[in-house]
Amino acid sequence: MHLQLITLQGVRLDTEMYELIAPTESGEIAVFPGHEHLVTLATPGALAVRHNKTDRDTQLEYFAISGGVIEIAPDTIRVLVDEADHGEDIIEAESRAALERALKLRDEAPDQVEREKAAQMIDRHQVRLKVAELQRRHRR
Amino acid sequence: MPSTQALKGRIRSVKNTKQITKAMQLVAASKMRKAQEATKLSAPYTEAAREMLTALSYREAVKDHPLFKKRPVKTRLMIVIASDKGLAGAYNSNIIKLYAQQLTEDDKAGIKNATITVGRRASQFVARLKDTEVLGSYEELPDRPDGRELRTILNSAKGLFEEGKVDAVDIIYTEFINSVNQKAVVNRVLPAGFEPTHEPKGPRDIVYEPTTKRVLDGIAYRLVGAQIFQALLDARASEHSMRMMAMKNATDNAGDLIDDLTLAMNKARQGAITQELAEISGGVEALNE
Repeated sequence: MHLQLITLQGVRLDTEMYELIAPTESGEIAVFPGHEHLVTLATPGALAVRHNKTDRDTQLEYFAISGGVIEIAPDTIRVLVDEADHGEDIIEAESRAALERALKLRDEAPDQVEREKAAQMIDRHQVRLKVAELQRRHRR
Repeated sequence: MPSTQALKGRIRSVKNTKQITKAMQLVAASKMRKAQEATKLSAPYTEAAREMLTALSYREAVKDHPLFKKRPVKTRLMIVIASDKGLAGAYNSNIIKLYAQQLTEDDKAGIKNATITVGRRASQFVARLKDTEVLGSYEELPDRPDGRELRTILNSAKGLFEEGKVDAVDIIYTEFINSVNQKAVVNRVLPAGFEPTHEPKGPRDIVYEPTTKRVLDGIAYRLVGAQIFQALLDARASEHSMRMMAMKNATDNAGDLIDDLTLAMNKARQGAITQELAEISGGVEALNE
């Protein structure tokens, strides 16, 4: 089935694939060809794409996504998210350092606005870190 | 007539200025190309969001959604997008002129207003005003803005609108038409406008999870976000093209000035030589007598 991953920075992925694993508000879902028509909300997390039916888990392609909307039809999927970072572009050590900085920022935040900003950063970096770890585990 | 020495000094200084403006022109040109490409990137996102909303509009009354509902405007929020740096021709003054005009109109109509500024030039202008409430100032946005800056602006605008603290949100920015044509415009962001796209393909029996209402919230939020994001990208591309044009004009003017000054200097030098010769021959004449 056809998958389009659309972000504010352009179309990140426009390809044929076999299975999509996506984080949604009602839990993680896996979508295979022939799925019923469904529109659901994506939560920040790891999006995984299996390109061919015979691909193993180690060959999954990962993206760290922010929240968005997923539109599923039997033969097409459109994922509309604000941001999507390719798993291979994320450097684990950098994400870890950024997460620590964000945690520190939250603890030192003088007001509610700053705390919220820091919380947003923490969410973002946690997702990125998770994707980086998945990517590393599967590369072994 | 100024001395040859003074003219030489001026030519040198104008040449230096020309070198600087030329360099700035080249920098702006390369930034403009990048920014110009970026303005097209968010189009698929907006298109997809609108299509999803159209499909959804058969199930849920989109017009009654809080983000789409029109109400009488008593207070409005303006998001003003200008640049951090000057030397971009009329870029900032056009935006500020339009903003000031909007303020006067609101004043006449008895509408209260609040402002969020993007860019130092806008915040400096707004800081001197008394009759508008400044809710936030964003400066030093990166050249390729990503979702993060957008989300803070979007969330505060949406929050204020939903709480009923403002009844409309407008965005004032420079629309990028092409590299020689840019226009300062006012666009209404909230309440959001909704024009259905073509009849959606596929059946109408779509499942919405968790609920149609929540999905509508999600799509509406993204559609509004995309509009603000597009404005940020357009403003960026306009800024760089206007700076490029301004610097090109400055470089051309410096070239003309150098030509004029060189002519004046040559005249002055020739004049000095002629005068010296006249004095010498005059002296020789006097001795011969």
